[in-house]
Amino acid sequence: MEPLKPGRMSVPGITEPKDLIVRARAGDTQAWGDLYREYAPAMFRFCRRALPTREDAEDATMEIFMKLREKLSQYDPSRSFSAWLYKVAANHCWDLLRRRKARHDKDMEDIDELPLEAPEPNQLERLIEERSGDEVRKALNTLGARARMALVMRYYSDMSYDEIADALGVRRPFVGVVLLRARHELRQALQGSGALAAGGMQ
Amino acid sequence: VSEQNTTKHLDELTLLMYVERQLDRDAAQEVSLHTQTCTRCLTMLRALDRESRLLTRSMVEEDEPLPMKLAEFHEQVKRSMRWIWGVLFGLAALGVYALYTAYIEPVQNQLEQAGFGGSNLLSLMVFQGAFWKGWQSMFTLVEFAALGSVAAFGVFAIRKYLRRGTALAVMFASLGLLAAFATPASAAEFRKNDTVTVGKEETVKADLYAMGDHIRVEGTVDGDFFGFGQSVEISGHVTGDVICFCQSLRISGQVEGNLRSLANNITVTGSIDKSVSTFTEMMTVDPSGKIGRNLTSFTKSLTFDGTLGRDLLAMFGKANINGGIGGSLSAKGENLTINSGASIGGTAKFEGDNPADVSSGAKLASPLEYKKMQHKSHDSVRGSGYYVWSVIWAAAYVLFGLVLLSLLPGFSREASANVENVGASFGLGVLVFFAVPIAAVIACVTVVGLFVGLATLFLWYASLYFAQVIVGATVGQWILGRAADTWGLIGRMVVGICILRVGMAVPYLGMWFKYGVIIWGIGALSLAIYRRLQPSIAPNIPSVPLSSPNAPLPPNTTVGNS
Repeated sequence: MEPLKPGRMSVPGITEPKDLIVRARAGDTQAWGDLYREYAPAMFRFCRRALPTREDAEDATMEIFMKLREKLSQYDPSRSFSAWLYKVAANHCWDLLRRRKARHDKDMEDIDELPLEAPEPNQLERLIEERSGDEVRKALNTLGARARMALVMRYYSDMSYDEIADALGVRRPFVGVVLLRARHELRQALQGSGALAAGGMQ
Repeated sequence: VSEQNTTKHLDELTLLMYVERQLDRDAAQEVSLHTQTCTRCLTMLRALDRESRLLTRSMVEEDEPLPMKLAEFHEQVKRSMRWIWGVLFGLAALGVYALYTAYIEPVQNQLEQAGFGGSNLLSLMVFQGAFWKGWQSMFTLVEFAALGSVAAFGVFAIRKYLRRGTALAVMFASLGLLAAFATPASAAEFRKNDTVTVGKEETVKADLYAMGDHIRVEGTVDGDFFGFGQSVEISGHVTGDVICFCQSLRISGQVEGNLRSLANNITVTGSIDKSVSTFTEMMTVDPSGKIGRNLTSFTKSLTFDGTLGRDLLAMFGKANINGGIGGSLSAKGENLTINSGASIGGTAKFEGDNPADVSSGAKLASPLEYKKMQHKSHDSVRGSGYYVWSVIWAAAYVLFGLVLLSLLPGFSREASANVENVGASFGLGVLVFFAVPIAAVIACVTVVGLFVGLATLFLWYASLYFAQVIVGATVGQWILGRAADTWGLIGRMVVGICILRVGMAVPYLGMWFKYGVIIWGIGALSLAIYRRLQPSIAPNIPSVPLSSPNAPLPPNTTVGNS
């Protein structure tokens, strides 16, 4: 199996195709095609994690690349290309989710009202040990839009707290709270997915 | 490692911030020190770190291959664009031709023949006819409508930054401001009873709203009069306009303003200083009846024996004219008789089934121009031209759909998705299809919402076409699969519309099919609009307080050992 590739490709060891980006910005369609092929899988996965259905993710991936192509001239080459890419993607997906509003998903405001109960560390450890990636992805699908979006931005795209705050429209100090709340939601979903017999959280 | 202080554990958020490297140096060192002696917090710290890793691993795992259509996205769009542009230009040309020949040219011809060359019916009705109340009174209305529109657009534009409550507050505040700045409306009086009477000696110094079986104005209403009842009789004096919805209306007194009415029968024996516009079954102006300006009448039977200052514009089944018309006559109907007592100061034009019967004694400034009315061929008589036109019309719809889908891609997609919600779309569709035009017409007639009413009618009419485009797009998607982008949706819309047009061409059943499609589509559109108008998720701040308010969370710290 191919080694895991973090969502953000600006991490050490992975270089961005600067030459392609420059040529694509200059209008080279071949370069744009190569760039697309390079980034489309990661972008599709981002959308797949952030949006409720596969069809939504397919549509959104295409729309994001259409937007990117239009905005390519606005990209500042001195900054990370993938960071810019994920910013556009995150804004697009969040816009989509916001337009559909919480009526299709879990209502986020209700969740905000729930108190946070700190888990027992040992039980949390057990819960994490027992869960596979597949189970986590399924649980992720059941979360409210904002919780899912926050987790995807942070743990898939490796976006900074500032970027997340900007995309979700919350103040930066509250990004941590949003993430923590999202983790709680996720744990609840994981708990509900079974294997409580092994001693899940209460 | 010993459990040093079990009562004072670090909270989960602080530990998470530590794992996420979001704490400043001092706070991070505190956490570091604490976890050296507190097993519980150390376990929690590790668990959170492992949770982060689990999350990243789960998300980056390639569980699904990239869909084929995404792999070829770039080339596909480029290829499809080429032929779509060619086809679209062809369709655009056809569509423009169809629209021009089917709508614009005949209307232009008709208007010119009817003597309205240059102006159109709407402007005639609004500016010369009964709806116009003079610049002074209309200006306040225009101001109000403009301010209202600006406020509505403002709220709509910033709605995503507002919470539901705030949005309401802003709306009410805006309304309050508008009310405060608007010119104070004249006072109004409401009367409701079986019989409502304004006595002979009585003067109502306000606009009067009367509701009852029998309404009589024998005295004076110093303002506008609004009557809703079975029979309304005005033998007194109204200084403003008269607006009536009733079975029978009789005006034997004096009205200084305009008369606008939807009634079964209207008889005018008194005088109306300005214009009259009526929708009736029977309209009678007796010899003693006087109308200062124009008369616009849509009626089954018109008898005009009185005096009219300016033009008469009428559509009728049968009309009998024996009075004086200062301006011109433009009439359309089955039968027209102009008797010897009639006089017409301007031109006289009649389009009808039978030539007008004009008495030799009638005084006409110019001879009556007659044109035989052309009736549209029925469905049962279909030549080859019908099918050619069906194709051209399908092209016109495609053009219309292209414009809409290009201008409003997101909205079109949402509406198209709503089509699949059959029950809700049909239910809402029936309501909107019938209720909106009725409400809009009422708004127009009562002047209060003239602009709103006209705009609504226009939008409603446009939505009849948009509805078919949306249903077409959905039908196309059923057949060709879900569209991936706007161009894909346009392609599917073309296919869907062709199928719908074929369905609509079926004799007799086609008409019902068309109405079904329109209602279905209008419902889907309304549902999409309704959902758009719902307040969006506000970027609200989580309501649970930070568990460690003393620990600020400054940006970009690099301390932490995980």
